[in-house]
Amino acid sequence: MSDRILSLVVGVLAALVLGLALFWQPELPERPLPRAAVPEGGEFTLQSADGPVSLRDFRGKVVLLYFGYTYCPDICPTSLAATAEGLKQLTPDELARVAVILVSIDPKRDTPARLQEYARFFHPAIVGVTGTPEEIAAVTKRYGVFYAEQKVATAGDGYVVDHSADTYVVAADGKLAGRIAHATAPDQVAAIIRKYLYPP
Amino acid sequence: MKRLSTLAVGLLLSTGVLAGAADNVSVQDAYVRLAPPNAPATGAFMVIRNNGDKDVKVVRADNPVSKATELHTHLNEGGVMKMRPVPAIEIKAKGEAVLRPGGLHVMMIDLKAAMKEGDSVPITLTFDDGSSKQVDARVVKATAAPAPTEHRQH
Repeated sequence: MSDRILSLVVGVLAALVLGLALFWQPELPERPLPRAAVPEGGEFTLQSADGPVSLRDFRGKVVLLYFGYTYCPDICPTSLAATAEGLKQLTPDELARVAVILVSIDPKRDTPARLQEYARFFHPAIVGVTGTPEEIAAVTKRYGVFYAEQKVATAGDGYVVDHSADTYVVAADGKLAGRIAHATAPDQVAAIIRKYLYPP
Repeated sequence: MKRLSTLAVGLLLSTGVLAGAADNVSVQDAYVRLAPPNAPATGAFMVIRNNGDKDVKVVRADNPVSKATELHTHLNEGGVMKMRPVPAIEIKAKGEAVLRPGGLHVMMIDLKAAMKEGDSVPITLTFDDGSSKQVDARVVKATAAPAPTEHRQH
């Protein structure tokens, strides 16, 4: 059993290293996804404080997906604050064509109400959603998101969650189109959103 | 008289010993990020400068508003951010350590009460020689928090 876990870990690490070697482009805040490496993304329905939220509810809009959690001590606030600042640079018309969904990768602790309050702190347009651990596992897998609980002695309820910190961009047609790297500056976030709002 | 001067010399010496590393350290741009609602933890960030000729280490941080205070860093492994405690933050002689979002930071865990923008949090940094320094960090909302390194050229 532990051998299987070990080989899984080795496999994941090898894939990471290979992925890094092939696709690492540190100078680009936006990472265009190479065709072969594009996770399928796709439809999902999860729960918000105001009821179920499906990706298809936002068809016609550019959707930013961020996978985080309310116990997140530093990374999520950094990402979400940059996204929120980017949204503020859009015109009202542009903002109306953008949706931001915060998907919890800590379904054990995050409730829809908790997520809503957390998300609104950053920007009223951000919708927080969660689901069963199985639903979250399925969605994250399809979007190529990594997350793993990590014991840290004194953190909140005893663990933090390592997780992919990029923001995923879903184009108006519902297809996963790209990613915005963690800690991308607000003006670049706005520029990337506009790129998808006004496709060539 | 002689005893008095001995006392004076003794006092001078003892303050010198007590001050130690803390005396050579200056801290700039200290701030605490306002924790979002429901977030049980938040980070404090600052630039710690070592004006002395010896390397110093921050080995501990304390503050009165959270139950625990730790020194942390982040590892970015292929876009996956991993937060990990570090035993110390080293500041080279004449160098500086930059604590900022996504990197080294003072982690304030299990906040005792909600804080608000503009509050001031006294953070005590303790150095490897036992000396310590108190820094007053202002609470700011993340959106307004400048990353202290962005305009610095190294």
